[in-house]
Amino acid sequence: MNATVEFYTVQPKDAPAEREDIRRLLAANDLELDDQIEAFVVCRREGRLVACAGLDHATIKCVAVAEDMRGESLSLDLGSEVIHLAAARGQFHLFLYSAPHNLPFFRGWGFYPLVEVPERVVLMENSPVAMERYCDSLRAQRRPGQTIGGIVLNANPFTLGHRYLVDQAARACDWLHVFVVKEDASLFSYADRYALVAAGVKDIDNLTLYPGSDYIISRATFPGYFLKDKGIVESSWAAVDLLLFRDYIAPALGIDRRYVGSEPFDAVTNSYNVQMKHWLQQTPSGERPVTVVEIPRASSGGVAISATEVRRLLAQRDFGRIAALVPATTLQFLESKFPVNHTVQ
Amino acid sequence: MKVTKEAIAGTLESSDLLVKVAPSARGTRDIVIRSEVIKQFGKQIKHVVTDTLDKLSVSGGSIVVEDKGALDCVIRARVQAAVLRACECKELEWEHLS
Repeated sequence: MNATVEFYTVQPKDAPAEREDIRRLLAANDLELDDQIEAFVVCRREGRLVACAGLDHATIKCVAVAEDMRGESLSLDLGSEVIHLAAARGQFHLFLYSAPHNLPFFRGWGFYPLVEVPERVVLMENSPVAMERYCDSLRAQRRPGQTIGGIVLNANPFTLGHRYLVDQAARACDWLHVFVVKEDASLFSYADRYALVAAGVKDIDNLTLYPGSDYIISRATFPGYFLKDKGIVESSWAAVDLLLFRDYIAPALGIDRRYVGSEPFDAVTNSYNVQMKHWLQQTPSGERPVTVVEIPRASSGGVAISATEVRRLLAQRDFGRIAALVPATTLQFLESKFPVNHTVQ
Repeated sequence: MKVTKEAIAGTLESSDLLVKVAPSARGTRDIVIRSEVIKQFGKQIKHVVTDTLDKLSVSGGSIVVEDKGALDCVIRARVQAAVLRACECKELEWEHLS
């Protein structure tokens, strides 16, 4: 009666046969295998792969249970296994992507919905209170005023272009809230990026600088952002990130406009700007719209300043040209961190 | 005992519960209980969780309980396990676990 059911962990990169079985199970459930997944919990019943759940850092995705195995306790076991796998890997604050119709299923795993992109995807997290507590901490920072602006910067690294954007926004607003993307997935570490932004905006009085969070352009809320060098663009991921901003962060701080630099070079960032207008401004939502203000990029010698260009020049140790693109504080940091004599030709 | 890191204990299976413990930013003790039988047994579950935490002298931390209809003794054991992991407890005081 009781067929042997076995759970174990698979690293898809090292196990091509397992990976193929997983891919097939996912395909039967209209899901694609996500290559960012580092580990899968899989379940075999008498040798057949009947369930899987993938883990990409703190995010659970690619969850599938074979049709004939549903309605039993198997799915709850699968949930327990993947939550324990995450804990063993040091991840406790977990996110999960699901198709909207499966939301009740993942409620049983102790996940709670944050935002939904209608008919596409729901982002859930494994706490009924974490977002509320985060918003409480933001609300404590609210500032009075008619026009309250918000900016999210990756600043990889902080340039005169960022400086121009922040400066223009601060002039136009009673108060400006600036967030630095926290994820350590860029050339410069989060600590360095944050320090350079802090140094670069120190003289602006009507501004609060925030550390990033899991809810603002993180690997969990917007995985595509960190894959942009590979040219992978997933538009619905941008929607999740933007809806979090509109439904939670903006209301908590009273932000009514979000500032962004125009994007002439980078396809992902440009598509993000287009998406931003759609999800912050046009889509109906319980929360009031956030106006998107696109500021033309500052330029130097007729060319728009970009962090991408700074990184390109840095690879050549061309500090002469970098000096025209970044504030003195950033230049100093780059010169000390990337000595010229270490250049590899 | 002081909660110094995040920890979990338990499962999502029927008659069990999953307990998540984490340090709290404000230093307060925040308990959140979700249960399939919250209407019938919510008060009793809260009582068992609070009492277990008190006996272990846990004054701060975020404690989230996902209950699947567990008995009191199971709730007590899972809360203890999660707290002891979260406090990186090396030496057990057995009388506090009874």
